[in-house]
Parts: sequence; C-alpha cells; structure tokens
Amino acid sequence: MAPPTGTAVHLDGLGKRFRLTHDRNWTLKATMLAGHRTRYEEFWALRDLDLEIPHGSTFGIIGGNGSGKSTLLKVLAGILRPDEGTATVDGRLSALLELGAGFHPELTGRENVYLNGAILGFTSRDIRQRFDDIVGFAELDRFIDEPVRNYSSGMYVRLGFSVAIHVEPEILLVDEVLAVGDHSFQRRCLDRFAQLKAEGRTIVLVSHDLDMVGWLCERTAWIQNGALQAVGPSPEVIDRFLDGADEPLPGTSASGNTTAGTPTPGMQRRFGGLGDDDLVRAVDLVDPNGHRMDRVGSGHPVRFRVRVDAGRADEPLTVALGLYRSDGTHVASINSGAAGRGLAYGGAPEGDGAGTVEVDYTIDALAVQPGTYELSVALHDASMRKVFERHTHLIRFEVEPSGGDHQNGLVALGGTWSARSVDASATGPRSDGPGSDGS
Amino acid sequence: MPLPRLPRSRRDLHALLPVDLLVNLTLRDLRSKYKRSALGWTWSILNPVVAVVVYSAVFSVFLRIEPSIGDPSGLHSYAVFLLVALLPWQFHVNSLTEATRAITANAPLVTKIYFPRWVLPTSSVLARFLTLLVEMAVLLVLIAVLQGHVAFQWIPVLMLLMALQLLFTIGLALMISAANVYFRDVQHFLGVALAPWMFLTPILYPLNMVPADREFLGIGYRTLYQLNPMVSWAKAYRNVLYDLRFPSAERWLAIVAATAIVLVVGFRVFNRLEPRMAEEV
Repeated sequence: MAPPTGTAVHLDGLGKRFRLTHDRNWTLKATMLAGHRTRYEEFWALRDLDLEIPHGSTFGIIGGNGSGKSTLLKVLAGILRPDEGTATVDGRLSALLELGAGFHPELTGRENVYLNGAILGFTSRDIRQRFDDIVGFAELDRFIDEPVRNYSSGMYVRLGFSVAIHVEPEILLVDEVLAVGDHSFQRRCLDRFAQLKAEGRTIVLVSHDLDMVGWLCERTAWIQNGALQAVGPSPEVIDRFLDGADEPLPGTSASGNTTAGTPTPGMQRRFGGLGDDDLVRAVDLVDPNGHRMDRVGSGHPVRFRVRVDAGRADEPLTVALGLYRSDGTHVASINSGAAGRGLAYGGAPEGDGAGTVEVDYTIDALAVQPGTYELSVALHDASMRKVFERHTHLIRFEVEPSGGDHQNGLVALGGTWSARSVDASATGPRSDGPGSDGS
Repeated sequence: MPLPRLPRSRRDLHALLPVDLLVNLTLRDLRSKYKRSALGWTWSILNPVVAVVVYSAVFSVFLRIEPSIGDPSGLHSYAVFLLVALLPWQFHVNSLTEATRAITANAPLVTKIYFPRWVLPTSSVLARFLTLLVEMAVLLVLIAVLQGHVAFQWIPVLMLLMALQLLFTIGLALMISAANVYFRDVQHFLGVALAPWMFLTPILYPLNMVPADREFLGIGYRTLYQLNPMVSWAKAYRNVLYDLRFPSAERWLAIVAATAIVLVVGFRVFNRLEPRMAEEV
C-alpha cells in the first residue's frame, strides 16, 4: 500500500487554555461554599496556531522552555483537548512523550510489552507478531522475563522506545526522548527514524537539541509564548530562533573566504557559526590547487578542507562531514575514522601554529546535481563513539550546472550516451534505445 | 516499503471496545496484586474465610441472629446464609475502593498517552470480578455438598445475576473514579460510607428483621430500607443460592432498572468529566 499523501496534521486556529488556580479547591466543601465556580486565572498555552504537516515529512518543533511545545504535542496526541480551533490528525499516531509510561515495575518485561502495546492501541496478536523484533531492538533478550523494577534506567527506556516505534505509527510524535540512552542507542534511534522516514511515515520532533532538529527535520516550526513565530526549512527557522529576532532571512549566496574562527561577512552564519572555543576553526571549499571557492561545478573536483585545533584535544580526533541539500535531504556522510582506516588527527602538535591540523577530503568529481548544498562537520574520538563537536550546516555553497546536459534528481551520474544500430528482429518488440527515459 | 495497516473495520471495533487493553489492564491488576508477598493468592482466600469466622462468631453465636430457613431448600446454616450475600458485597466494596483511585493512581499514564480512560476503572472492576467468579465457584461446590447437585442447576441464573451486578458496579465505578479526579473527597467519603452501607444491607441478618410496622415520616422502615439497591442483590443472591429458587419479578425489575440507570448515568458523567482529566489529575 502506498504511503498516505496529503496532510497528516492540520491545525486550524488551535488554542489551549489552562487554568491557573491560586487556591485550588481540592475539597467538595470549599467548592460548595465558594459557589459553583472556582476562582482561577486563564492562561493560554497555545493560541491561534495554524500549521500543516504533510504526510511523510519530518517536522521539528522548537522553542524555549514554557513556549507550548509539549502542550502542542499533547493536543496532537489527544491527551489534551483544544479549547479553541481544531487539531486534525489523519492516520495512526504514536506518541513518545515518556518512554515506558505505563510500565508496571512488578511485572516482567514481557508482560509490560503486551500491556504497553495494548495501551498504545495494539491487540495482543499484533504484539505477539512483533514481539521478537521489539525485544531484539531493545537488546533485552536475556532480561525480558525479569520484573522491570530490576531494569536499569537505560534498559527501561530502550524497551519503552522499542514498543513505541514497533506499533507502526503513520505519525510519530517524539518529545525530547532521545536525550536518554547511550550514544549507540541514540544512533540506533536515529537510524530507526531514518527508516521510518524512508517508509513514508510522518515524524514530529520536539527538541531543545537544535543540531538534532537540523539533522533530522526538513521543516521546523518555532513556537514562542504559545504562538507560531516561524515555520519553514529547518536551517532558516533555527537561525531565526537563535537570532531571537524577526530579522530578514539572509540571502542564499555561498560562503566566501573565511579565516580561522572569524566568519567574514560573506560567509553564511549557520547556527551561530564557529565560536572561539570550538576545535573546528574553519571549513572551506578549495579547488585542487588549494584556492578557496564558494561555488563548484557539478561533476568537478573539489576538496573540503577542515581546520581543526587538534592540539587542544585530549585525544586523536576523527573528522566527519555531512553533505545536505538545502531542503534538508541528506546526501552523504563520511568519517575519516570509518572503514578501519582509522584516520585520526591530533595528539602531537604539528603543522602551522599550536597544533592546528588541516584535514582535506578530496573528491575527484562532485557527483551531485546543481543546487544549494550545506556541509555539516563533526569531531569524534578515534572509536567514533564520542562526539566532541557537531556543527550543523556550517557552510552553504552552490553547485552549478556544468556541461550542456540537463538532468534532474539528486546525483549526477556522470555517464555518457551512445547509440549504435542493431538488428531489429533480435531485440524483441520493445526497444530500450537511448531515446527512452532512463530514470 | 508499504505501510502495513490493519483492516479499518477491526481497528474501528477495537477503538470502540478495546478488548485487548481491558484484558491487559485486568491482568496487570491481578498479576501485580500479590507480587512479592509470601502467601500470594492465599490472601484472597483468607479474606472471606476470616470474615465468615468472625461474623459467624459475633452475629450468630454472641448476638444469636437466626438465619432464615432456606425455602424450598431447607438449608439452615448461618455460614452459608452469610457467604452468599457477603461475597457479592465484598466484590462491591473492593471494586469501588480500587476503582476510585483507578485514574488518579494512573496519572503518569493519563498525562502521557491517550487511550479511552474508562478502561481504567472498568479493568479494576473486572479484576475483582474474576476473583468473585472463583469465590462463587468454591461456594457453589460447598452448597452442592450440603444440598446435592441440584445446586448446579442454578448456575445460569447466578451468572445472569452476576453479570448484572458487574454492569451495575462498572456504572458506579465510572462515576466515582471520574469525580475523584476533581474532588479527592470522594475516596474519603467512600471509606466512611461503605461500613454503614453494609449494615443497612441484609448481609449479616435476614431482611425480615427490619421492622415493617414502624414508620419514619409516614414511610415504613422496610420501604425506606429497600431504597438501597444493594438490598435487591443481597436478596436475589440469597434466593438463588440459599433458598434455591427464582427471585421474584419485582426483584428482577428493581435489579435491571438500577443497573440500567447507573450504567447510563455512569457513562454520561464519565464522558462529561473526561476531557479535562489529563489536566486535573
């Protein structure tokens, strides 16, 4: 069955009001004496919210503490009823508001899986079919018949997460839950999100981790004081959120020449850019001769140059690069420590200055279609388990059309056309000649 | 990869009556109740046994209350007389006590996940009902020992009676559990009200000990007394299991009417109070 199309979540003038009671009448007598109504102050946690989230998209919601993000998720999840407007959700929804909510400590992991699944709306038969997957993902095979009160908090959360994502939601609401668990679990969560995304499911993520939102979400809404401040492509919304002002969005011109640590006006400032304390000093696009560029032709050679203050690091570092199209599409990620090559830098001072290293990643032919691209940079330890720094969408650059060949899609295949005459009777009724659509 | 989706019809049915959720919550209740106790399920047997011993000593031996003679069964045993009404009463008490806190005690669940809230008090009642089924089965065997297998002929009537009481209790549980979210007085009130309620129900003594010839504000004591719906259940259970006869038509009428009213009102009250539960709990 094809993934559903159209709007997954539609908010129309949504408002949610809470009552702030100064003296809550917890007793019947007090209510009787005070008359029918309790005295309270009204407080709108959300007001006049219009928002559409299409099916199959990943959508971030950001905002400061008390901005109404979590209230919005609870309204979407059906836990809270709107006081104004409507919230329409089309499709089966699963909310990861608190992992393992509803687990009973005295019951075993197995019993809790069935219980939690039932609370999330699944039948026992559905759960039975997925049971092995759920336990496998949580890596709790040995402990599944232990009471969950004996679980560590990590085990508890893994099981809760595993149940929630295996109920096959069409729409998944996630509230800050990825802050828990170790790195390897977090990575598997992200993998799982990517898989859900690839399956055409809708993910709505509420998080304070702007890097995470930037990595994961195509579009983002910024909510403040219960009102929508901005909605649009994640990098732009996150920038505006960090700027904290409604200044006009910066243009989309490519990054210019940068010197270590001090972004020049020509460079796109992403998420606050690089700070003086960052180990990453600069990221540049250079040509094979080492000259800086701000644009590159599709299929042309290019080198990503990362300058790292490796002398300040306690241990060798590996450099990871993430290439994204400006609409958030993940094009590629590479890590200098991957594939057993173990390229780690740092430890002993070398090169220019106090231990600064220039790490190059050289590409013979940049096989992406023309468009605007962004580069993210992260520094890991040699085992790639620990993340020292992550700079999301650090620079933005243009890939320009080259050659006369007009193409569409994500990658530039770099192939060549050729044709030759063949005997018509040998090829059968349908000819797959060069003239037909090759995509 | 295609999106697996269950048939709409089954999904809709499940949304209306989440059987698996009810089953799982009921099992949670039963499984966790006696976890980490040495005697475990023995406790659930001990409770009625101790009650019968104590009540028999006090009311039958000390106060010399004569149980009615079973008509037509001819049974004359205070213990059986007591048990046939006491077990359904204890189900009533335990259900209401636990259902009152069903939503407030599950606040973490209610504020984090959406599911039909009425399943919480209902599953509390269902768990107690399963206990009642076991107890009644044991009692039926006891009666069969005294009366012969003729007692088993009354199983269908007994089941009908128990099913009606289950619905009646669910109705009450819905009202009380929802009200308790807004006013925690409800649980305290219940604790105060249940003891007098028991003494105003013919469990420890026969109904004919309530004076029929005295009046209060022009209404007979007996008439006032019978306004308590639990009187009908105590009498009906005693008819079926002690007298071994079919309860009268008026008795059935009273029982069915009380069940219907309480169930409808219970659901209406609950639905009215449900939307703000996650905020108030």
